[in-house]
Amino acid sequence: MNWNEILEFSRGALFNVALIFFVAGMVYRLVRVLLLGWSRDRAPAAGSKVGGVAKSFLKGILIWPFIPWVKRTFSKNPIIYLAGGLFHLGLFAAIFLGTPHMLVWKSLLGFGWRTLPVPIVDWLSAGAILAMIVLLINRRINPVLKLISGPAEYLSWLVVFLPMVSGYMMTHHMFFRYEVLFSLHMIAVDVLLIWIPLSRISHFMFYFFSRTIHGLEFGKRAVTP
Amino acid sequence: MSEKTIYQHLQEQGVSRRDFLKLCGMLVGAMGISVPPLESADFLFQSDGVDQRMVQRVAKALESKTRAPVIWLEFQDCAGCTEALTRSQSPTLIDLVLNSISVEYHETLTAAAGFQTEANKEAIMQAYHGQYVLVVEGSIPTAAGGAYCTIGGRSAVDLLEEAAEGAAAIIATGNCSAFGGLPKAAPNPTGAKGVWEIIKDKPVVNIPGCPAIPEVFTGTLAHFLIFGNLPELDDLNRPMTFYGKTVHDRCLRRPFYDAGKFAMSFDDQGAKEGWCLYKLGCKGPTTYNACASIKWDAGLSFPVQSGHPCLGCSEPDFWDGGGFYQGQSAPLNPPGMVSVGTAVGAGAVIGAVMAANNASQKKRATAAGNETYREDKKEA
Repeated sequence: MNWNEILEFSRGALFNVALIFFVAGMVYRLVRVLLLGWSRDRAPAAGSKVGGVAKSFLKGILIWPFIPWVKRTFSKNPIIYLAGGLFHLGLFAAIFLGTPHMLVWKSLLGFGWRTLPVPIVDWLSAGAILAMIVLLINRRINPVLKLISGPAEYLSWLVVFLPMVSGYMMTHHMFFRYEVLFSLHMIAVDVLLIWIPLSRISHFMFYFFSRTIHGLEFGKRAVTP
Repeated sequence: MSEKTIYQHLQEQGVSRRDFLKLCGMLVGAMGISVPPLESADFLFQSDGVDQRMVQRVAKALESKTRAPVIWLEFQDCAGCTEALTRSQSPTLIDLVLNSISVEYHETLTAAAGFQTEANKEAIMQAYHGQYVLVVEGSIPTAAGGAYCTIGGRSAVDLLEEAAEGAAAIIATGNCSAFGGLPKAAPNPTGAKGVWEIIKDKPVVNIPGCPAIPEVFTGTLAHFLIFGNLPELDDLNRPMTFYGKTVHDRCLRRPFYDAGKFAMSFDDQGAKEGWCLYKLGCKGPTTYNACASIKWDAGLSFPVQSGHPCLGCSEPDFWDGGGFYQGQSAPLNPPGMVSVGTAVGAGAVIGAVMAANNASQKKRATAAGNETYREDKKEA
């Protein structure tokens, strides 16, 4: 088996299996949470549910994360705030605004969009990789974090780190031949897709889920922060 | 076939000593070889970018070696590699290879036809057993007992195995004979295969391309004929000299890729400005070939320069490697709506069943708990 065949496998059959597993797994997770059971709420609504959701998203994603002093995370642990922010920013820039990734979305969704120039995505990705290393060191040093970190946490870190670092190396044609790096990147991505529903990386979906639920609750009671 | 040396043969054709040495210099250039190890004083021997010591080595080889016969077989091909070769940018070199180094059997170029040519081939294979070079163009069908391609009533597999048996080396020219090419594209009805999948006991050099670059083919053939050995090969048996770098590595549009400037369609401003064709499906990053440096038609141009993305024609299974105009990063055959729908359904059903199971467990546990509570209360 040569690298071309490995690439064909990781871009083809393995990717398809991983994607199907990912979709089925995430739907399973969502259904499980939705069917946990909801307590009946007998109190009359005091405010707008939609308004609550809108506020929750606006503040939670678009405003507060960019005003450090309103976030207690920043004053309590600036490393997590900065490195975590940088990591997520780089990740989103690469996945949605990197040209090669946009072409993946285009092939799956049927439509594409404009992307950022390679150097910008490149620097943001480099920042994200660096942030991940910082976060790992922080996890090993911080006594509380160390205590609550098990094998699953370190595995999650690794499974996210490998696609990032292989993708970066691939863009820069570093050390190995392109198809070798391409294959490794695809295998890492396929492993990530399979690992997401099984792990806490599924927060990429549940984050929005809980923001919506909390927004609903707060809005209904007119206690939006 | 005479036992004269190649040089003597050229002399008979009226080639002067001066022209002969020029030819040797051209050969060195074509083969892309140098004297290892490179030393700091190497520039002393350089003339027109060619190492003169190497030229002398080639000249000595041509003066002492006899002509080696070449047998050229064509199977499931379009003769495009032959066409490209006969229109090569260096006619003297091609002339040397085709005429002086004696192609004894070639289905497209041989003037004679029928049983005479077949008989001639047989005679050459016997007379030069273990010495001749076998060139194969076109893939070999293996389905239906090889019935998809027969010549003179014999199957391609049969003819190949017979010719390969007495060959010193085999050169597979073009993607078809190297990796199966177009005939091997899914669903591959003829069971097409490349030479190296069938012949395992002989050295096979692959010169893939669609067609193979003429200079790459002649350079490789000349290397074998002059030095008697094969050039350094990569893991797909391609000469490293020509297939060591990707088209992307040497692409003239590479700066636009690095700057993130891409043509979005074939007639937008980006395409007119000569921007990178990656988004239009260019396979340059994974395609190893010398297109971007040797180019075609006397160095005039190559596909990417002319505004078309690289198809990856020097790589195995390039016909099945995703759409030609689909970005290379895109998955090969992304799952369709049915598969995704099934996955969604499966996830939902399993989730619902598990949730129902959970709910009933919870109900039973609550009932049991209530029972225990009542009993405890009673006892108290």
